[in-house]
Amino acid sequence: MSSDQDHLQETDTEARFEFKKEENSAVRSGKGLTEEVIRMISDDKDEPDWMLERRLRALEQYHNMPMPSDWPGMPDLSELDVEEIIPYIRPDVDKREGVDDWTELPDEIQDTFDKLGIPEAEKNALSGVGAQYESEVVYQNMQEQWEEKGVIFCNMDEAVREHPELVKEHFMTTCVPPSDNKFAALHGAVWSGGSFVYVPEDVTVEMPVQAYFRMNSEGMGQFEHTLIIAEEGSEVHYIEGCSAPKYGTHNLHSGGVEVFVGEDAHVQYSTVQNWSKNTFNLNTKRAICEENGTMEWVSGSMGSKVTMLYPCTILKGRGSTDTHITIALAGEGQDIDTGAKVYHNAPDTSSTIESKSIAKDGGRTNYRGLVHIADGAEGSSTAVECDALMFDNESTSDTMPYMEIEESKVDVAHEATVGKIGDEDIFYLQSRGLDDDDAKKMIVAGFIEPITEELPIEYAVELNRLIELEMEGSLG
Amino acid sequence: MSAGTQVHANLTEEQVREISGDLDEPEWLLETRLEALEALEELDMPDVIRTPGRDWTNLHDLDFESLVDPLNAAEDKDQVGPEEAEVLSWSDAVQEHEDLLKEHFGSIVDPKENYLTALSTALFSTGTVIYVPEGVDAEDVAIRTEQNSRSLFNYTLVVTEESSSVTILERQSTGAEQDEQYYSGVVEVAAGENSYVQYGSLQNLSEEAYNFTVKRGVTDTYATIDWIEGNLGTQLTKTEVSTELRGDSSETQIVGAFYGHNDQHFDLDAKVWHRAEHTTADLITRGVIDDISRSVYEGVQDVGADAWDTSSYQRENTLMLSDESEADASPQLIINNHDTEASHSATVGQIDEEDLFYMTSRGVDPRSARNMLVEGFFVPVLEEIDVDELRDDLSELIGARLRQRE
Repeated sequence: MSSDQDHLQETDTEARFEFKKEENSAVRSGKGLTEEVIRMISDDKDEPDWMLERRLRALEQYHNMPMPSDWPGMPDLSELDVEEIIPYIRPDVDKREGVDDWTELPDEIQDTFDKLGIPEAEKNALSGVGAQYESEVVYQNMQEQWEEKGVIFCNMDEAVREHPELVKEHFMTTCVPPSDNKFAALHGAVWSGGSFVYVPEDVTVEMPVQAYFRMNSEGMGQFEHTLIIAEEGSEVHYIEGCSAPKYGTHNLHSGGVEVFVGEDAHVQYSTVQNWSKNTFNLNTKRAICEENGTMEWVSGSMGSKVTMLYPCTILKGRGSTDTHITIALAGEGQDIDTGAKVYHNAPDTSSTIESKSIAKDGGRTNYRGLVHIADGAEGSSTAVECDALMFDNESTSDTMPYMEIEESKVDVAHEATVGKIGDEDIFYLQSRGLDDDDAKKMIVAGFIEPITEELPIEYAVELNRLIELEMEGSLG
Repeated sequence: MSAGTQVHANLTEEQVREISGDLDEPEWLLETRLEALEALEELDMPDVIRTPGRDWTNLHDLDFESLVDPLNAAEDKDQVGPEEAEVLSWSDAVQEHEDLLKEHFGSIVDPKENYLTALSTALFSTGTVIYVPEGVDAEDVAIRTEQNSRSLFNYTLVVTEESSSVTILERQSTGAEQDEQYYSGVVEVAAGENSYVQYGSLQNLSEEAYNFTVKRGVTDTYATIDWIEGNLGTQLTKTEVSTELRGDSSETQIVGAFYGHNDQHFDLDAKVWHRAEHTTADLITRGVIDDISRSVYEGVQDVGADAWDTSSYQRENTLMLSDESEADASPQLIINNHDTEASHSATVGQIDEEDLFYMTSRGVDPRSARNMLVEGFFVPVLEEIDVDELRDDLSELIGARLRQRE
């Protein structure tokens, strides 16, 4: 163990937010990004050399890349000081690869996940659950019936050890190479935890698998990596939830998600993120779809100070399909810059993007999208629809869709609308006995229904509850 | 490459002094020109749409060294209008309306907005000033410019007083064919209270030419500015048509039509800034691209925080006639006031096979059928053009280009 490790037991009583826990760390890296920190993370995880080499190469790329600066209307990242972020904290859990029974977790971690309702959801509706606390996955379970069919659902660190060939081939190579952008490079250097999902040929995992990520410590960065490999003809639905309490300094979340959708396979990736309002949420998520494969992204972005997230699908095989359904809600001090990217690189591919956003109390939402249809992708079609709802005059709502069309035999349509909540609608609901707040909540619930419809009921309920919390008392 | 390096050695203060002196300009105008010349060192090229790793239009390859020839500008120009309005050449305007120029010149399009506007301000040698007094309805103002030199820098100012109206039709074409040419135009429109400006433009320069234009208007209360923008010529066009709705209840419409073939590149911006209450904007652009041509469309509807109760609409449709052509579209909404109805839509597609089949099954030969469908595609745009002459010319040029197609 290197001398950089601090065995700190901080007792931070400031800025208490709901059920924030005392930081409970066994291993904690120093601040900033140096080769020593990277070596320490890799060492602490007992990683093979090839992974350490990948980390160091990514670190070098990170240092060589400039921060993005010339995007029109891009969020302000000036308050983000990566050198001040603590990239790695390992909580004090006995088994490094996590436990498979909730009761084995330290009380306060157990309590946290209890409050978030994760064990309950697992019991009732899910095939498997992984839970990450700070940088490490602390709980991991997969129902036996799926294990028997060869489905792998484990944390990413374990996958590096147990399934090196699969990881070597797919981890940040063709889908999200570290050279993709500065934060992908950062992620490649300091990634920790996350989920690994492997579904063998023709296996359908009928119930969703779920991972839950929580950042608890102040000033930390979370960099979980998710790798999903769905072989030919398989089907899986992966759900991710994220949250963090509120702290005074800024947290950074920079996750990486790579999805490989095999021939005729079908992957749905759903996420509801509700990071605390001091978090910079800068992710890279991408899927590659083989012939007749289907990728579905469903995302809800509520929390964070700044989110820059554009889940991307590369339609590589003929006849592959992509669906994006996204919803963003920005309140006071929030800049949610999110959208979708689709590359149509093969004939007869199709994509639909449905984006909804709500801006209130001075928040800003932006839909930033890119649809690229390559020369030769004939018979492809895409439809993009963005709708924005604004509550007040302090808020901002932008849309910046980009379309690059290099092929003539295609069908491309984009539509966007911005509107306020209709006074008539509110009046109608009030005349039926609802108060102003409830009327507005109901209109918002109706507005986001296309998203909630796509989610399993627990998530739909959680999403609705989160939005309700956000709306409470804030309506004029 | 930074723009600054493109200030070429053969562009000098003396040349600018000579242009200004030939036009008998007052000292303040010369100063404005010289400031613009000096600013070239620091200014960047106009913004183009960028996505990571890609500029959709590359302006840096333009060879200004050889294209710009400030002292040899030559043109054949008509500037005519009805008696009630004043339609003046630049040199006449300098003599007769200095006060008007002082008030408006450079107030709508900042000469130092970017490298190309500054270049235009420093070097323009020809222009038109249209002044419409209070209550006057001026029909049929025509400005025809035939470029006969390697480079030509043109400036147009339109000022309408309260409750007046004017219809302007501008055309640019190339005279004796030159190898490569550069045409640069800046148009400023100040629409007074309750006045109406219709500004039609038909750009049909030679396909060897490069073109950079900015047309921008500001509206006073209840004023309307309608733009019609037809683009057919040049090998590279970068153009912006925009209105700042500064007065309450003012309106604007921007109608665009383009047809690119061979290796033409059109970068077309349509922008509106809602800066006052009850303002309305309608942007509609349709274009066809063929062969290896390329269109880049950027439409911006910006609703400011003080722009209450506004309506803003934008439509852009591109028809692709070949596999090698490329269409890029970015219709953006920037909304800072919630009391607005804003929407935009964009489509890219090809000729509908079923329509084609229907027509050929009725005995129309495939080529005529296709041409009819393309002409039909332009109808919604042509319908928005109030000026008969412009509409007829545009549809004739479109028809001629279609018939050229193998």
